[in-house]
Amino acid sequence: MSKTTEVEKDKKRSIPASAPLMAFFVGLFIYFSVASEYFFDIENFRNIAVALAVTGIVCIPGTLLMIAGQVDLSVGSAAAVSGMIMANMVNKHSIAVGLAVALVFGLTLGIINGFLVTVVGVNSLITTLGGLATLYGIALLIGNGQTVMMRNFEWLGTSQPWGVPLPVLIFTVIAIMGAVSLRKSTYGRSLYAIGSNPNAARVVGIRSNRLLFITFVLSSVGAALAGAVLCSQLSAADPNAARGLELEVITAIVLGGASLAGGRGSMFGTILGLCTIGILNNGLILLDVPTFWQRVAQGLMLIIAVSFDSLRQKLNNQRS
Amino acid sequence: MNVDLAHLKDIRKSFNGVEVLHGVDLTLAPGEVLALLGENGAGKSTLVKILAGDIPPTSGSITIADTELARLDVYQARQLGVRMIFQELNDAPSLSVAENIFLGQWPGSKGFVAWGDMREKAREILKRLEVDIDVDAQAGSLRVGERQILEIARALTQNAKILVLDEPTAALSNAEVERLFIVMDQLKKQGVGMIYITHRLDEVSRVADRVQVLRDGNSVLTVDAKGAQREVLVTAMLGHEALKNARPAAVTTSGNGLEIKNFSSGDDFNDVSMTINAGEVVCLFGKIGSGSSEVLESIYGLRPVTGGSVHIFGKEFKPKSPQESSSSGIGYLPADRQRLGSFASRSVAENLAVASWKAMSRLGFVDAGNEVKAFSRWSDALKISARRGPTQEIATLSGGNQQKVLLGRWFEAKVQVLLLVEPTRGVDVGARRDIYDIIRRQAKESGMAVLVATSDYEEVVLLADRALVMSRGKIVSEFTGNSVDANSLISAAS
Ligand SMILES: Nc1ncnc2c1ncn2[C@@H]1O[C@H](COP(=O)(O)OP(=O)(O)OP(=O)(O)O)[C@@H](O)[C@H]1O
Ligand SMILES: [Mg+2]
Repeated sequence: MSKTTEVEKDKKRSIPASAPLMAFFVGLFIYFSVASEYFFDIENFRNIAVALAVTGIVCIPGTLLMIAGQVDLSVGSAAAVSGMIMANMVNKHSIAVGLAVALVFGLTLGIINGFLVTVVGVNSLITTLGGLATLYGIALLIGNGQTVMMRNFEWLGTSQPWGVPLPVLIFTVIAIMGAVSLRKSTYGRSLYAIGSNPNAARVVGIRSNRLLFITFVLSSVGAALAGAVLCSQLSAADPNAARGLELEVITAIVLGGASLAGGRGSMFGTILGLCTIGILNNGLILLDVPTFWQRVAQGLMLIIAVSFDSLRQKLNNQRS
Repeated sequence: MNVDLAHLKDIRKSFNGVEVLHGVDLTLAPGEVLALLGENGAGKSTLVKILAGDIPPTSGSITIADTELARLDVYQARQLGVRMIFQELNDAPSLSVAENIFLGQWPGSKGFVAWGDMREKAREILKRLEVDIDVDAQAGSLRVGERQILEIARALTQNAKILVLDEPTAALSNAEVERLFIVMDQLKKQGVGMIYITHRLDEVSRVADRVQVLRDGNSVLTVDAKGAQREVLVTAMLGHEALKNARPAAVTTSGNGLEIKNFSSGDDFNDVSMTINAGEVVCLFGKIGSGSSEVLESIYGLRPVTGGSVHIFGKEFKPKSPQESSSSGIGYLPADRQRLGSFASRSVAENLAVASWKAMSRLGFVDAGNEVKAFSRWSDALKISARRGPTQEIATLSGGNQQKVLLGRWFEAKVQVLLLVEPTRGVDVGARRDIYDIIRRQAKESGMAVLVATSDYEEVVLLADRALVMSRGKIVSEFTGNSVDANSLISAAS
């Protein structure tokens, strides 16, 4: 009897990990609502959601990777290549061929990343940093450094079934699948275990390499899909359109409480981090802050988020 | 004028609002060895960490060498001559043995490390402890017992005035422990005061001058070590009388469970053969380097096999990787719980259930409720003290309680063959008895074959149906039934 009350008392006392971010988000939200008359508006919220959807699609598998202690920096360039492929294929053949080739590209890239990390044993940061540079070059090569215009492919980026923009719908479906498998499936739970202690995960019989491989594939396929959505939104494929996507993704995930060291994090946190970035960008635009300052604000966000992460680790170490 | 080296007064400590030390006093005189006893989670490690400045007390005062301090940090504590061997290994696995011994204070000048000097000194210290460890080997490649000796060696290099040893011998055999005691005797003569934490009560009268017992965060007994009776100490620790130590009742088992033939792995062990019946518990007893824990590692696929065969319930099994072994129904508890066992940032329930996810899941999805149920099943049986329940992070449990969670992991998993290395490392006397009972009952009920590698002869006596003694990579003798007793084991192993 006394044992259960003690446990309950303690549950009340412990603050959820995402509480500080929640407070920051709410504060920012209230500030922009007061500071700009255009902010608190359904149409504006829809804009924010559309702007976030592309990043969001990449963030979901990105969170899975980060929890397992890995990172994928090649997503931005991969999205760019995927967009260039789409544009060329749509113009020459059809939308179906374009989508198919772009997804096959994502699959192939994921297999290469997964192979290098799990079989060859290259550190994922290095592997995907190489991918970032190489793929950006390839994106420039495909279009000769130019933006490629394309016709009749707006539905993926701009159609609104039931009044909801299609990219937001796609993101929502992926996010729900990601959240459920992270929390409830053996796959998701194993990712936490791998990130928390890779050696122990191996010893307890978790097939770490196989699971990491799958996750790298998911990440690249997500990036390819995001690239397709993006070029459909723009009606053009621009090799520079997705530059910096990887930074935005990592900022959102780390802001959401995932640890760069692995073993911690949640989909809810990532989505909250994503929304924070979204309203920050949107609010700054509405307040007429020059776009360059938005870049500065995002960079600062990343630094603050990472500092939070290491501070949290330090505190935890001290307490144990 | 105070004659004490250290004096802790009315120390209280709370974690997240839960008080775990309720006003404890402790004194230590020069040249004195104080044994600190208590059940898992009693607060021993917490108390000595406060003395070493590792964590601040919530209230109370600390006096070291006549200076009273309200707050003490690690740096100050070092300046005042406090050195500590932590319960969990604190080494840098990728550095060499010599570097590890001098970690952070490498000999040399002007920022350059004097390598030759350092290796020479490291060799000297290891010789003093009479161990044969290569000073150039990577620390991570050593056995847990050897790494414990490195921790001891490091503490010896630092000219301590107060030396705290938090279960330094938990994975050492009596031969290695005796050498540590000889070194401690020398330090005593130099006036070093020592606090020695252990769960092995037979060590107390050998090494300590005074004994202090903690129970649930209170100091309940402080007596002279000479003539302190085991029963009195145990009763003070548990709060009630303990069962008598005795050999378990003999049970006949039949049917081959685990069979290994002419099993070899390089220089580590050679031509090892044994058959463990279904339902039988066999202990492999030996000193560090005897090869006993290596045999288990090889069966589980963690160490290359150079010859021989393994059969599991009549079927041939080729050890390849831990993943293969685990899906073939083998469970393995490593000696190094920090590095190979626990998922530090995850909850106790998850840590306990991780090996049973497959069995608990439907279509790849695990029900968190099942995890909690599994945890409550074993937390009662193993007396796991996790004050915040199933969601508490395992890293915030006391050392012995973490070990119990990892044991529970394999009890829950219902494997066919269970391999345990130093299963009760850091577990208190009371819970130890329960664990032996559970291992034996599970084996008999489910017909599981259990192989235990241990350096603790008492464990062999209380747990084994049959005991095999290893020395220099070979099985040298076998004891069954009532012939399993401490003296014959020790003489066979040396
Ligand atoms: N960082 C922490 N956060 C929360 N609780 C903690 C933390 N560190 C220790 N505790 C709690 O304090 C209590 C005392 O732990 P301590 O490690 O001092 O026990 P101990 O006597 O050393 O046990 P053992 O014999 O198992 O090593 C335990 O209930 C433990 O869970
Ligand atoms: Mg302890």
